[in-house]
Amino acid sequence: MKKLKQSQYYGILLLLLMLVAFWAVFKILAPATFGSPDKLMTYMKSALIYAVGGCGLYFICSMGPFDMSVGANIVLSSIIACNMSERFGYLGLVIAPVIVGTIIGFINGMVYIKLHISSLIVTVALSLIYEALSVYATNGKNVILSTDYRAFGDYPANLILALVAYLLCAFILKYTKVGTYTYAIGSNEVVAKNMGVNVAKYKVVAFTLAGMFFGLQSILTISFGTSMTSATNLSSMSRNFTPLMGTFFGLAFKKYGHPVIAIVVGEMIIQLMFNGFVALGAPTTIQNVVTGAALLLIVTLTTKPTKGAVVK
Amino acid sequence: MGEVLLKADNIDKHFGITHALDHVSLTFGKGEIHALIGENGSGKSTLTSCLTGIYQKDSGTFTLEGKEITAKNQVEANHQGVAIVVQEMGTLSGLTVAENIFLGNENDFISHGIKNTSAMNKKAQEYLNSYGFNYIDATRSIDDYNFEERKLIEIVKSTYFNPKVLVVDETTTALGQKGREELFKVMHKMRDEGNCVIFISHDLEEVIEQADNISVLRDGVMIGSISKAEATTDKLKQMMVGREIGENYYRTDYGEKISDEVVISVKNVTVKGQIEDLSLELHKGEILGIGGLSECGMHEVGKAIFGASYFREGSVTLGDGTPINSIPDAIKHSMAYASKDRDNESLVINDTIGENICLPSLEDLKKNGILRSKNMKAFAEKYAAQMSTKMTGVDQFVSALSGGNKQKVVLARWIGKDSDLIILDSPTRGIDVKVKADIYAMMNDMRKNGKSIIMISEEIMELLGMADRILIMKDGKINGEFFRSESLKDTDLINNMI
Repeated sequence: MKKLKQSQYYGILLLLLMLVAFWAVFKILAPATFGSPDKLMTYMKSALIYAVGGCGLYFICSMGPFDMSVGANIVLSSIIACNMSERFGYLGLVIAPVIVGTIIGFINGMVYIKLHISSLIVTVALSLIYEALSVYATNGKNVILSTDYRAFGDYPANLILALVAYLLCAFILKYTKVGTYTYAIGSNEVVAKNMGVNVAKYKVVAFTLAGMFFGLQSILTISFGTSMTSATNLSSMSRNFTPLMGTFFGLAFKKYGHPVIAIVVGEMIIQLMFNGFVALGAPTTIQNVVTGAALLLIVTLTTKPTKGAVVK
Repeated sequence: MGEVLLKADNIDKHFGITHALDHVSLTFGKGEIHALIGENGSGKSTLTSCLTGIYQKDSGTFTLEGKEITAKNQVEANHQGVAIVVQEMGTLSGLTVAENIFLGNENDFISHGIKNTSAMNKKAQEYLNSYGFNYIDATRSIDDYNFEERKLIEIVKSTYFNPKVLVVDETTTALGQKGREELFKVMHKMRDEGNCVIFISHDLEEVIEQADNISVLRDGVMIGSISKAEATTDKLKQMMVGREIGENYYRTDYGEKISDEVVISVKNVTVKGQIEDLSLELHKGEILGIGGLSECGMHEVGKAIFGASYFREGSVTLGDGTPINSIPDAIKHSMAYASKDRDNESLVINDTIGENICLPSLEDLKKNGILRSKNMKAFAEKYAAQMSTKMTGVDQFVSALSGGNKQKVVLARWIGKDSDLIILDSPTRGIDVKVKADIYAMMNDMRKNGKSIIMISEEIMELLGMADRILIMKDGKINGEFFRSESLKDTDLINNMI
């Protein structure tokens, strides 16, 4: 047993058991409406979209800060993707949101390190600005993705794009300096600084990389949903939490060495939960209750706050 | 000493009002192990931190083999030929052993932006094996190894590139016998290759055994250097402590009888990792001194008694058996506590002197349920004046005060509360002689008025000068009890600390 626990596959095994357990529980409670193979494929379709964003957030959250502008980034990037697809076809659909997402991430990072204030405040404040831009970009109307460019909304193109994103994330974490420094800064910023790590620079890199992943998520989001409405009054905020929960799965299972797998399976578990409650006939607002409760639970379990620490 | 390798010239460093290094000059030779010793706060670690880029010196120069060196961080220092193994944890969780060894030097393994992890792991394993640490796997997470193994990994990290100067900063306390032997082996190897090891340790016997030359610092001033042949533990202790000047501001009475009445009784208190099964009693009108090295657990004792420790086991009760389990319990029963960390744990820095003094007494200052600023101001002025606090008025912000006057505000607060039992942790830390004298006079008055005081202090002369009874702690336990006497010597206490 001890040997198994030390194995790098122990974490994955644990996650898969959780996945099966959640499926089984809801399947027993709602055998007719939940969990048939084709329904599972639909749940997974959502899960793989959120997991792309979860991968991006992982760079930021591993270091300690947060990004609350994920939703605003996705709304704006999706709208630009939609607009650009009309001019440049698939090229516009794929390239434009990645560029917009990356720029937004870079701005987030720069403002965060230059102002020396909490990343939560910085990204919430900037969200308001990004949302306003989304209104300008649409004149307040709905944008709809043309039926000619919806391939990334379904299998297999969505799966391929998502896999590319996951592999990219895993590669950066394992095979570049950025990955090492992400963990080093998260572990102890002062020691990392003493070792010559340019902490401010790599924080900006983390936000920028995250922004790029949110751009990738936007391609999948607009393709799957086919339309996007501009956001105001922080209505984009609700899009932050599903990717964030996946990220926390990644952080919790990091010690087993495969954070990206944990993010993806974590998102699958969350989708099973959402859809499970819906299958049970719970009103859709129950999703918000589940999201809120699950977020608190997962964060509490993964961050292990020290007793007596000042939390702000 | 043979040929000079490293020269420190007039190194000066301040931390706020504390003069941590006062124009220290010192030379280190080729092929020597040079020990740096001194009491807590003497400036040993500050000096080596300036050398290795952890702190930036205010002025002065370091010259290595005739060339001036300045480092902004440890990796820069490494490239200049200087390495350090620090007192605390110097490795980072979440990274592998190999990533830790090469942190900051990844570029050696990167081509076209891609890190060659297997080459890095292989190289790290080669280095580990060459030190005889074959049982450490370079590819594993550093979190799989315990503190001692992580220190050994840090030694590899600090020395694999053959630095000319290696600083070993109180590392031995973290190591068991086997770890120490491994460390000494590395130190001897470096010396034999004509390099220099700067060795900081509190263990004087170990220092004499390992070092070729020993230099002593006291209060940021270089006291002198002696060779291994001249050194005895007694001689070193004398150099470390020195002759205190102006001792007359301490108490002059001896032989006064302490009351038998117990005001607080601490039984079998344990705080994991800090205090182990500690019991003590404090009597009415007594000043009980608690001393030891800074990491001996004594600072936690103050917190544990005041109900401010988390995870405290055992009991703290008043003379009548009332348990004290939380800070509100303690304050309700007329206890007071002044922390060593004044700015973070004792004072509301961004508030006025008046607000700070009134804070625990707000209940008593209420009239018909209402707090009146006139009453509060009068109250604050009374006690600030009693402590002769140097200020423009009680409306002044605490953040603008010097360390000594901040401490006066803390004390004024508890005198205003009329506390009967006062725990003072490092009451005169970073405070000049004049304010020290005021604080000692106040303590003496309180004692005469039947108040009881626990004084936790790293300053031996203060313990000898002020306490009726002294408990010396070592490794979280009490390691000696001494009663006030003219014949009691500093060396008696030091022997029980180290």
